[in-house]
Amino acid sequence: MTQRTVTIIGAGALGSHLLLFCRNWDVALRVVDFDRVEAKNTASQFHSAMGMGKNKAKALQSAMQGLFKRKIAALTSKLTDDNQSELLGGSDLVIDCTDNFAARQCIQDYCSSAEIPCLHGALSAEGDLARVVWSEHFVADQEGQPGQATCEDGQNLPFHGLAASLIAQIAQQYLADGTKQSWQLTPFAMVRLT
Amino acid sequence: MQQNQARLNITINGQNGDFPDPVAFALSDTEIKRIAAEAIRTGYVPSIDPVAADLAYFVVDRFPATREMPARLMLRPKTPFGEPQR
Repeated sequence: MTQRTVTIIGAGALGSHLLLFCRNWDVALRVVDFDRVEAKNTASQFHSAMGMGKNKAKALQSAMQGLFKRKIAALTSKLTDDNQSELLGGSDLVIDCTDNFAARQCIQDYCSSAEIPCLHGALSAEGDLARVVWSEHFVADQEGQPGQATCEDGQNLPFHGLAASLIAQIAQQYLADGTKQSWQLTPFAMVRLT
Repeated sequence: MQQNQARLNITINGQNGDFPDPVAFALSDTEIKRIAAEAIRTGYVPSIDPVAADLAYFVVDRFPATREMPARLMLRPKTPFGEPQR
């Protein structure tokens, strides 16, 4: 039987931590991110000083290999309408961990047209709400107001971990038996959506 | 709860609670925010501390009733993590 492929797009606050919880899945893991690791990222994302200056997907590839001997594919292009198929095509599951409207919309549109199951993870700017929602129920929010907090100081790091765990739990259940549940999470409460 | 009604769930300041009364599923977002702001201000929503809430940037997700769950209106902050795109 061919091994399934799971693509995580976005290797920041959600995606980088999510990868930790996927490391024992019997799937081919693919991580997509065009951005580079900056010093500020090490406070709020699963990126270390060793990865600074490297592409985030490449940095995680090295970290997962070094820490767990877990091989992952690293794709370093920025998602656009022209390369969706190259970056997301062939996936059995796409997990959207991006942080902006345009990328989410692009992912949602492609996965819908290609009939690829897609799970979206989204955090509020204040770090007080996370949504983990299957694409058929997901509405991408337009950007928030200017000057919002971005939690680069790691103040909400434990909540990022909770949210990433929830994404992993929901995705793992889907991979096991096809169940699709959507939830929203605050630091001390969870509400089932679907 | 009647067929055209829904449970209104509110998330604000990391707290979450259900508005105690059913509301019409077809209410506009503006009306939902007005009801919620007053309920939050007066401490009418269990698990949410009373506060003068500015809900202008909040959004309403609408989930029609299913066999498993009643209709729900979910009022929540936006979830764009990161700075607005320039």
